[in-house]
Amino acid sequence: MVLRPLLVHADGLLRGSGAFHPARAAELPAWTFPLITLAFAPLYGALMGSFHFDSAERIRQVAYSGIKMPLLLFASTLVCLPGFFVLNTVLGLREDFRQSVKAILAGQAGLGVIVASLGPLTRFFYFCTSDYRAALLFNLAALAVSTVAGQFVMLRYYRVLIRRNRRHRLMLLAWLGLYAFVGIQMAWMLRPFVGDPTMRVSFFRAEPFSNAYVVVFRLIFRR
Amino acid sequence: MRLGFQQLDELLRGRKTAPPQLADGKVDLPLRMFVPLAIGLGAVYGFFMGWYAISGRSQPGYEQLIASTVKLPALFLLTLLVTFPSLYVFNALVGCRLSFTAMLRLLVGAITVDLAVAASLGPILGFFTLSTQSYAFMVILNVALLAVAGVVGLGFLLQTLRRLTAWVYWRPPVAEPADAAQPPMPSEPGPLEVVPGDYPRETLGAARSIFRIWVLIYALVGAQMGWLLRPFIGSPDMPFTWFRAREGNFFLALATQLKNLAEGR
Repeated sequence: MVLRPLLVHADGLLRGSGAFHPARAAELPAWTFPLITLAFAPLYGALMGSFHFDSAERIRQVAYSGIKMPLLLFASTLVCLPGFFVLNTVLGLREDFRQSVKAILAGQAGLGVIVASLGPLTRFFYFCTSDYRAALLFNLAALAVSTVAGQFVMLRYYRVLIRRNRRHRLMLLAWLGLYAFVGIQMAWMLRPFVGDPTMRVSFFRAEPFSNAYVVVFRLIFRR
Repeated sequence: MRLGFQQLDELLRGRKTAPPQLADGKVDLPLRMFVPLAIGLGAVYGFFMGWYAISGRSQPGYEQLIASTVKLPALFLLTLLVTFPSLYVFNALVGCRLSFTAMLRLLVGAITVDLAVAASLGPILGFFTLSTQSYAFMVILNVALLAVAGVVGLGFLLQTLRRLTAWVYWRPPVAEPADAAQPPMPSEPGPLEVVPGDYPRETLGAARSIFRIWVLIYALVGAQMGWLLRPFIGSPDMPFTWFRAREGNFFLALATQLKNLAEGR
């Protein structure tokens, strides 16, 4: 009952047609996009968490990853939004702010739908291998592909804004920079998503939070 | 409180510094309103900055949190206090002809914009504070965020100065017949936009030179003031002090660091 309109909505979003046509974005209620994200992103999360599904306990990992996937997207947005709001205001783009946020949310919804469509691939990959590192890399690739593809959905809505005022281009870049910077760290903090077979199932890693960038830096310089 | 936010919003949207508002070289930014606003916004950023001293420590340094909250707005306003006389003299000398009040209001306005942007980036800083032990990372992140805020604040100062020195030449945009190919211009210019107008070169030149002199003086004194008011973030290896021993200066320390880097240390 709910499924059919949901799929129709997702289809419209991907095509950018019907109610989701960029020119008609103003009429669309803003909560449509988070709703689509909320419906699709957990599907991928759940499949992602089903890596080492050998015991009943592991079903918790499936549930956790399902919850964490939309949490990752929304929490990163929340952290970046105040700065984005003020930067938009000082650039004189306040009148369009609602539409900018809508474009951003549309991009996330697009990411959610696209990544959900890759879910079966991930599950199939899990059938073929039991190597944890390979599973991590495959997930990374799937997420990277859907993030890039999601940007095209976002760009479709942003293009209308850029045509109106060229400064939106700068703000789009600022958003992508901020969001990637925060999102990577957020994903690091919300580990584990796949679930290391040698570790117990947990929502957060037992160790204290660490900084992804510092970890990478130490890996490179071996300190 | 509510009025304060309203005023802040108008400042950030650029309504306070729209060309018609600046007629007669007046600046409508009452100090009674904007000095407390600047302090409040600076305190917000300072709070997120000082949070590092309590997050993930066995002995949370609440004093450092309070110190940073107080020190950050103090840094900006004390620097203004020290430099204002010289800034005013140069302004009079170069021929910008800004009145005493207008200039003070303009500078406080620029500081408010700067701190508003910094405060809005505060959640990002707070988020990273939650998960970071590395002191170096926090220093670099703080520098980066404050640099973004600084660029916006300077942009505001430069554009408002241009508008103020050349307000005589500003013409209200003539309502042209709507052109389908041309997108309609936004109704009100943002605070950082170059307002079109037939400005003579000398006035813009004067605005630019006074801007350069101001930034130079303010930045030099500000850097040293920041050095005096250390510690802001609170190194995890040192016990808390309100102020560090008054040794060296910012420029000496910078030179030492560069030397260290060159020697591969």
